[in-house]
Amino acid sequence: MCQLAAQEIPDALTLRVSLTYETSPSLQEATTVNYEWEFDVVWENFPFLLSGVGTTVGLAILSMLAGGVLGMAVALARISRLRILRVPAYCYTELFRTTPIVVQIMWVYWVLPILAGVTLSGFQTGLVALSLNVAAFMAEIYRAGIMSINRGQTEASLALGMTSSQMMRRIIIPQAITRMIPPMGTMWVSLFKDTAIISAIGVTELMFQAQYLAVDTYRPVEIFTITAVIYFVITYPQSLGVNFLYKKFRTQE
Amino acid sequence: MEETTTATTTPIVRVEALNKKFGELHVLKDVDMQVAPGEVVAIIGPSGSGKSTFLRCLNRLEEPTSGQIYVDQEEITGDAVDLPKVRRNIGMIFQHLNLFPHMTAIDNVMEGPRTVLKSSRSKAREAAVQLLDKVGLLDKIDVKPAQLSGGQQQRVAIARALAMQPKVMLFDEVTSALDPELVGEVLSTMKQLADDGMTMLVVTHEMSFGEKVADRVVMFDEGIIIEEGAPEQIFSRASNERTQRFLSQLHWGGT
Ligand SMILES: Nc1ncnc2c1ncn2[C@@H]1O[C@H](COP(=O)(O)OP(=O)(O)OP(=O)(O)O)[C@@H](O)[C@H]1O
Ligand SMILES: [Mg+2]
Repeated sequence: MCQLAAQEIPDALTLRVSLTYETSPSLQEATTVNYEWEFDVVWENFPFLLSGVGTTVGLAILSMLAGGVLGMAVALARISRLRILRVPAYCYTELFRTTPIVVQIMWVYWVLPILAGVTLSGFQTGLVALSLNVAAFMAEIYRAGIMSINRGQTEASLALGMTSSQMMRRIIIPQAITRMIPPMGTMWVSLFKDTAIISAIGVTELMFQAQYLAVDTYRPVEIFTITAVIYFVITYPQSLGVNFLYKKFRTQE
Repeated sequence: MEETTTATTTPIVRVEALNKKFGELHVLKDVDMQVAPGEVVAIIGPSGSGKSTFLRCLNRLEEPTSGQIYVDQEEITGDAVDLPKVRRNIGMIFQHLNLFPHMTAIDNVMEGPRTVLKSSRSKAREAAVQLLDKVGLLDKIDVKPAQLSGGQQQRVAIARALAMQPKVMLFDEVTSALDPELVGEVLSTMKQLADDGMTMLVVTHEMSFGEKVADRVVMFDEGIIIEEGAPEQIFSRASNERTQRFLSQLHWGGT
């Protein structure tokens, strides 16, 4: 059936297909009552599975940083007085917020090399696509934070003789940031989970390793159960952290 | 219109044929005004008559549609002026409390000199302490605005504006948002400022301020100065019928 050597990791799409149609004989016969759980195969391959976690975490962090910086530029363009900056920034954020992230990844994977003439590795593709996606959401978080600051603050700053950039730096952003942090936390948690999507283009992060093992061992039930647990164990504390941030910054207002 | 007593000195504020339209709405109609150094002008008039708009044109928070404004002989209207620089010379206090909430009282007062004028920390701090002392809030130096009463906040706002050493101060109904018992402390700070010789344009519904502190009272109605004169004249024998009606509605002056 499907014997995969580590070197010849299959094309991502083939893998998906094989995963769908070639499940283990035991699984085909299984019903809810008689399925025999067999976790040993997971523990045997646990280091291999965990080897994807580093990529998942790395990708999430890098996308968050790149998207955070790019998003700030987009947000500033979005609130600019110049139409020529405002309109493209608006189109950008709306485009990325209204298309499925998997489409964005596939687009960067297939279309960008043709348009831009650059070949990106799977990881680079994932990083670019996720960063672009994060930037769109972060831009809206920044913008909403900035817009939430009372107009009186702007007037007081200008009346003192500040330039727009002094006002942003000294008055608006320091106040807006406390309102941005909680939604940023939410964004981060969802980004962390969204990284699983780039398994679709063959990046060996946690989800890809899980799919690979599932095919290789005929034990998708156990593998994906444990994979879900791994995501949960990593994400849950972050989620608690986000809740904490919401509470902390709400009481501060 | 009557000549004012200060016509001989060079005015520190001169407004010529100022017009402001918001779309079709003609809010200020050919307004002329001259203010002498050290003069305190109270601006009164019904709601919507253009008082705030007039004041906001004077530091270009609102863009005049046409006309010229000169502050200390320098034209501040037109595209060529450096707005932040112009605004340094013109302090403004607003109706709504708008201290910077993330900064303590003294940091609020130091913010202009530090960020705009690039003063040294020690110099800015020394000046800020003096100003907070002047407005009677020496004990609130390290307190954030949320812990101050409305009246205290407005006094810090006055200190914050004074820290820029402005040539003119604009006040737009600075006591309207305050509880009645807090109005007095702000007005007495303003009176003290007037006594120190500051040039002030004060939009107010506090007729007592107009009567006791102002050198001149200016009555706006529908974007026009319909009457002006010394307080005792306006308050006790206004010649314009609409001024009389406006004052009697406030249960003030008139007959
Ligand atoms: N930004 C704006 N856009 C459109 N119309 C405006 C704007 N600001 C003020 N106006 C209108 O201009 C007119 C004058 O307003 P302004 O605030 O100057 O009056 P005011 O004399 O200060 O009144 P009040 O005593 O209520 O403060 C009003 O009809 C107001 O609705
Ligand atoms: Mg007003």
